Parts: sequence; structure tokens; C-alpha cells
Amino acid sequence: MKKAICSVLLLIAAGASGICQQGAEALVAESASFLAAFFKDMPDARVAVVRFENDSELTDLAMQKIYQMLVSRLEGEKNFRVLDLLLDFTGGRGEFNLDQPGTLDFLIEMKLIQNKSRTGLGLTVFSRLQDRVVAVKYFERPVSKGEMDLLNTRSYAFSGLGFSKLLEFESRMGLMDIQSISAEDGQEQYFFYYPDEIIIYSARETRLEKHFQFKLFWKRPVYPVLHPEGKLLLFRLDRDLVLTAGNNFSPTAQVLTYRDGQWQESRKIEFVPFRFVTLNQTPYLVGARYEEGRNFFKDRVYFQPFSPAASGGANALEKKTCPAMSLDFSSLDGQLQGVHVIDRSYSYRLFTSDFEEKKPLPEKKGASLAASGGEWLAVSDYSRNSDQLFFYDIRDGGLRQVYAGKVSGEIQFISAGSWLGTKGFWAGVRQQVDGLERLMVQFWGKSNE
Amino acid sequence: MNKGRRLVLKVALLLWLPLLATLLGGAIKPYYGGEAVIRLNEPTSFHLNTANYSNLIFSSLIYESFFYLKKDGEITSNVFREYRYDAAVRTLFLSVKDNLSFSNGKPLTAKNIQVSLKVFMGSDLITASRLSKAVKGIRIGEGQVAIELLADNPDIVSMLTAPELVVLAEDEQSFSGPFYPQEWEKGRSLILNSNPFYAGGRTYLDRVRVTFTEGQAPDLFLAGPGQFKDNFLEFDSGIYQNIYLCFLQGDIGQNTKVALYSLLQRFNEATGFKYRGLNALTADEESPVSIRIKALTPQKTASILKYSEIKLYALSSLSYLEKDLNAFLKSSNLKIEMLFVDDSQFMAFLDSAAIKYVLIDKIFQKKAPAEEKISRILKETSFNQFNAKYLRMLSELDEARFSNSQELLTEQIARISEAIISDGFIFPLFQKNYALYVSRSLPSLEVDYYGRPLLQKVGKANE
Repeated sequence: MKKAICSVLLLIAAGASGICQQGAEALVAESASFLAAFFKDMPDARVAVVRFENDSELTDLAMQKIYQMLVSRLEGEKNFRVLDLLLDFTGGRGEFNLDQPGTLDFLIEMKLIQNKSRTGLGLTVFSRLQDRVVAVKYFERPVSKGEMDLLNTRSYAFSGLGFSKLLEFESRMGLMDIQSISAEDGQEQYFFYYPDEIIIYSARETRLEKHFQFKLFWKRPVYPVLHPEGKLLLFRLDRDLVLTAGNNFSPTAQVLTYRDGQWQESRKIEFVPFRFVTLNQTPYLVGARYEEGRNFFKDRVYFQPFSPAASGGANALEKKTCPAMSLDFSSLDGQLQGVHVIDRSYSYRLFTSDFEEKKPLPEKKGASLAASGGEWLAVSDYSRNSDQLFFYDIRDGGLRQVYAGKVSGEIQFISAGSWLGTKGFWAGVRQQVDGLERLMVQFWGKSNE
Repeated sequence: MNKGRRLVLKVALLLWLPLLATLLGGAIKPYYGGEAVIRLNEPTSFHLNTANYSNLIFSSLIYESFFYLKKDGEITSNVFREYRYDAAVRTLFLSVKDNLSFSNGKPLTAKNIQVSLKVFMGSDLITASRLSKAVKGIRIGEGQVAIELLADNPDIVSMLTAPELVVLAEDEQSFSGPFYPQEWEKGRSLILNSNPFYAGGRTYLDRVRVTFTEGQAPDLFLAGPGQFKDNFLEFDSGIYQNIYLCFLQGDIGQNTKVALYSLLQRFNEATGFKYRGLNALTADEESPVSIRIKALTPQKTASILKYSEIKLYALSSLSYLEKDLNAFLKSSNLKIEMLFVDDSQFMAFLDSAAIKYVLIDKIFQKKAPAEEKISRILKETSFNQFNAKYLRMLSELDEARFSNSQELLTEQIARISEAIISDGFIFPLFQKNYALYVSRSLPSLEVDYYGRPLLQKVGKANE
């Protein structure tokens, strides 16, 4: 996919400027060829760029493009595996996720250097096993002023191939979360979580049809809130469908099991479950706890062993993070990858699966966020009145903004989900029309996937 | 559509208010935390006391009203999930929200609502007595309170918006308001913490510090209108405070009364006319009768009061006069002693013949009808001199009110004013207008019909 995007980018750039990107493209092509040749006989080698410095008059935007072009070419190579660890490129330096260097076999350092009218790209390859530099290479090409201007423009991706709004409809106010799961007959069911009930819909073509609904009853202590917030989690455990519903007005989350054709309350959990993951072959519910009656989470995440045998008696493990306005866990194949947080200063923070905070991270402000598996992270803008959704590629542990979409209204929550088999994000958006409030539900997904 | 139906619709909207509020936060979630500093008069206790404006504000911080009346006339409630008037059975049904608690976590139930309503109806307030006369009985059911009326009155809910009608707990350590007392440093400040169980949803602020001294710059305070415009938002409080000189014993000579009145007028003059002169029992603008009491000369005043040993009592809500007035009296070389008495203790002193002269204050809503104000003055300031004549006058005022004749009503107000003044138990002195000043760091503050600042949705920026 990255390769396709890159090609499209190059085509657009060529069309816009009227001249080919001979210089930059040639630099990238030569570097990629060199690396492909170097790793030719190392089929299982795991390779990543871990340092990229800019000593030219190209901007950070241009550097991101050059990096993307290179990684895109290397991803096409079958002889070795390249990992994209880029978090951001600011101040002339790339920031990379280096929390697990032990998983890499070769580390690449790159530097872009300007020499009068020519631009050079230097590569240094370091072998982790040999603990020494194993290759140094330098390529140089002329890069014209026009090409530099083109590289410096903000265009990372072709938006038509990115996340777009695939669905939009109005919901009643108070909606806190949406999750979906395939029913036994294979049909996707969509669970809408309100403070006092859950409504289950089925998709019929591009519409939702109400399938079932049930009331939720909360017992003392109940902390009345100005802003009800909550998270729903659905997963299958053995043959049961399990639903957990936590929120900021009850200190305990309800755990309901669908059995014998009805929802039965099976236990309570003292935090809001977000994910069902497996750690060391043990299934856990992972989540966080709201500050009662308020709109932010405490500075801990919890791991509760969860299985049909464990009836909730086992103590939850705690890991320290930071108080969070919004948080989500990225996981892939049931394994926890990281914890993404918007803290109480509305800044984005990232904790690794070992709960070490990733530092330094470039300053990013946000409001709500959600992670879709270990692939994409959606973050809403830190703004009022006009909102945006930013989509970051987090595969391999990187954090690279790829797409952005404007949203009319103000995003209240984001949840990872799927619509008719397409993965993406649900967003609850408040809009004001003729002085009246309404809540629109949107689904953002990649229409080409 | 009948009125009962209209009420139900209003309730439907009310139910959604918390959810609408949810969405008002915008894309950036509102920040919870921080402290606001409010300067008020020091209360004497945490008992409900709405005798003056400062106490009214303080009480609104720790006691939750049954209903709120907004300036635009909208009625809302944080305690009731729904209210419905059924004209067929002349009953107002109040459904209490589920799982409510007082500040200490004890359940807040329909029983607490019933008891609070009965306490209010038994109080010595005109709105309470009106409600008391209208109600036949109060029953409670599962999460519901039914108020049965003697006669059909679809507007009964508006009678329940009185700021004195609040949710009371059975014990003194439980509070229903947005905050609850945490720490009291007498004479300096009182810290109120956010009530985690507040029925309207926890406040954005973690704390309110109520200060009683001039030291710390407050975020919210009361002062005369037209000041502090640069750093503060000014709200019309919608109220005024009248100060009266009352004579509690019938044996006080007219000369003494007028001499004391003249002395206090001169006190105002000496302070540079800090207080606005009052020539009516309510407000000069609305009174059909202008009261002109000719002040005596300083010499005449001195000669009348020269041999008197006067103990001038004043309600503690007027303690801000203490410093200036004591200095003035000292300079007059008269034997007049100022004594301040707490509002709540004052009624107990009434039977004592020792109290002859007293300065009292009354807070009035500017928008309240003149007949309501004059009725209140007659009831609440005649004290032990209330007699059958006044009772008859009040009945006549009620008749005039229901006659729909403005002329008749004005005439009756004038008659009562004249009778009160000629009977000489009360002389109007001054009027104080209030503005509520709010720091620009506390945006989104609203003020209700009764001039109470609503702090529930007031937040401070991330600190």
C-alpha cells in the first residue's frame, strides 16, 4: 500500500511541477538499491531506520517524504523486513520509536547533506549482533530549486485513498460508545452504549436496523455527572459473548454474558475495560478507572485476569501511566503494543507495552483518541467549533500522520470499529443546526481496504 | 394543549439537560479542578439562612434548591427526574432521580424531599405561607412525592422555586448542594469541597474558598454597581437591600424616633452618602407613597438624645456598618451603643423588652410585585406589634390582588404604607444596590432570578 501511495504522490508531484523529481527520486532509488543488495543474502533480517538528520535546506515535510519513499521501496523487498519506526520529523531530526532495539538486526542512520547545487544522502548500516558499523554509503545528485519547493509542500498521501467518511447518521443525545461484533450467523451487530441502555443494531445494506435493546441499571454509589462517558467492550470467551460496560458515573463496570438467549450479569469489574488481551498465555481485561464523576482517567491502568474460571476474585495488576483525558490501548493479535494517552494538558503521550513513557515525543495536542488494532491511531483536534480527525500509522511502533479529515462539528468520542467489514473509527460528533444540538455518528474508514 | 400537558413537555426537555450539558463542553473536554475564591459575610453556622444576600449565596453553595428559576423564566431542577401536574386530582407529582446521595454518601430519597418541603412550609416566609395555604397534603411513594392541592393550580411549580426551599438532610453533616464544608478558619475563610454526589453533576471546580477578609483578591464578590469594570464581569444581581430603623416597643416617644432617624441620616452624610436615601418602604421608583420624614437639626437631635442611654441593635448582616457607625457615634458624644445580633438569634430576643431600637435589612427581588414586598414588610417587620388591623389589611391586599384592578391594588399598597409609617414602628433609611462581580478567569457563570451565582458549570483553565 505504501508503495502505491508513494507512486501516486510522485505522479502528482510530476504533474504539478512539470519536471520529474530526478534528484530526490534518484537518491532514494540508489539508496534503496544499495540496501537491497546489501541485505540480499539475509532473508530474515529485521532492518529499521533509527536516525535521520537533515543538513540541507529542505524542510521537515520534505524529509518525511524522502523517508516515506525510501521505506516504501524497501517494503517491497522480500529478502529482508523493514520496520517503520518513525514517530515524527521535527527540527531537522527524525524521532523514532526505539523502545525495543533488541528486535532489530540492523539499524540504519541517514543524513541528508547539501553541497552547493547537489544534495547527498549518506547511509550508515550498523549490525546489532556484530556491534559494529558494517556499511557506509553516500550518494549525491543535483536537486533543483523547483523540486525542493515541491518536496517542501504538505502532502504525505493521496487523500482519496485515505480515511474518509463512509457513513453518517443522527443518534439520540448521550451516546457514549459504539462497538461491533459478528453474531453467530456471521452478521455484524452494532452495540450503541447510552448511560441507561444498550441498543443493538444490525446492518441492512447501508442502514442500521434495531435488533434488540436492554436497560442498564446502576447501583449506589452513583456519581452524577455533567458529562457521561463510557466504554463498551465485546469479545468472545469460549462459546459466550461477553460485554463489559464501564463509565465515569459508576465505580464498577458491568460484565454481561449472552447465554441462553439473554444477557446475564456475571460479575463486576472495578475499572473500565478497554481491551481483552493475552499476556504470557493468560487472558486479561485491560482498562483504566475514571476519577468518579469527572471526565478523565486516573494515572493507572489495570490488568484483571479474566477467564470463565476466574470469577473476578483475582486482584488486578496496576501499572502507572498518567491522568488521561482520553486513552486507548493498541494491540495486535491479542498482544498489547502500547498505551496512547491525551493527558490533562491535552498533550499526546505514548507508553510502551512495558509502561515506559516514550520520550521525547514531538508536541502534539489532541482531545480524543482511539487505536485500531496495532495499525492506526485516530486523534481529534485540539480545537473548538471546527474539528479534525488525524490518522496516524502506528504499525511497527511508529507514529506517522498520514491522513487528516475535516469534521463539521465537535468530536465527542472516537472508537475503533468496523462497518460492513471495513476497519476504521466511529466518531460521535456534536453539531449545532439552527440553534439546536444534535449528535451525528460518523464512520471513517479506508474505502479501498 | 392544557397547562398540565405543557408542564410534561417542559419536563421532557429538563430530562435532557444533563445530556445537553454533556455536549456543551466542545471538542476540548472541559477541565476539572482548581479553586474559586468568593468573598462573603461570615456565616454563623451551616444552618440554612437566607436572611440577607450574602447568606443567600452561601446557602446556595451547600444546599440544593428544589427548583431553579432562571432570569428568562425557565424552571429547572437537578433533583427531580420529572415533574407533572395532574389537574384531575389537583396533584403535583415530583419524581426524584434514582440513586441520589447527600455529600457524605447517605441516600437522598423522596422522604427527604417531603420533610424539606414541610420544614419550608412551616417557616415564617410569605412564599412558604402561600404554599402552605395551597397544599392539602404531601404523600410519598417509591421515588415520588405527590403534593395534593386544595384548589386547581397548574402554576404550583413556580411556587416551589423559592430559594429558601432546599433539600435538607436528617443530620448536620450532610449537604445537598454543589459543595460541602471542609475546613473553617473562623474570621478568615471557609473551604468548601466539591460534592461528589451533587445531583446536578459534579462541579468543574474542586473547591470554593469563602473569605471573610479583604486580603485575598476574590474571584467573586458583591459591591455597589459600576465599579471594577476592568478586571471583572459585572452582573445585575436583580436584588436590592433596604435598611430600616425599627422600634420594637410602643413606649418610645416620637421625638426620640425622629432624632435617632436624623442621626442616622447624618451618619450617611458623614460617609459621603455611601448609601442611597430611601423614601419608601420598598423602592422609591415603585412606591405609590413617598415617605418624607423631616430630619431634625443636629442641635435638636443632640438635645433630645443627650440623656438617653440607647442600645442600638443591628442584625449581623449589617456588620459592614460597624466600623463607620461606631466612629460616627463616638464623635457625636452621645451615649449610643451599637450591638450586633445574629439573624437567627434575633427572633429569640424579640420577647425581651430590652430591645427597643434595631437596624434591620431586607432583601427584595427587583422584579417581585410591589404588593408582595409590602405584604412581606408588614409581616416581617411589625414583629410583636402585628395586630388584627394589619391582618385585615393583608386580607384586603389579597382581595385587591385577585380583583385584577391595578388601581385598587395601588390604593391598598398606599393605605398599608401610610398605616405602617403613621404607627411609627419602622422608618426606611437606606437602600443598597448590589452588583455581583466575577473575575474574567471564571467565564460561563450564570446568575439566577434571585441573584444567586450558579457555580456548577464554572471552571478554571488548566492550571
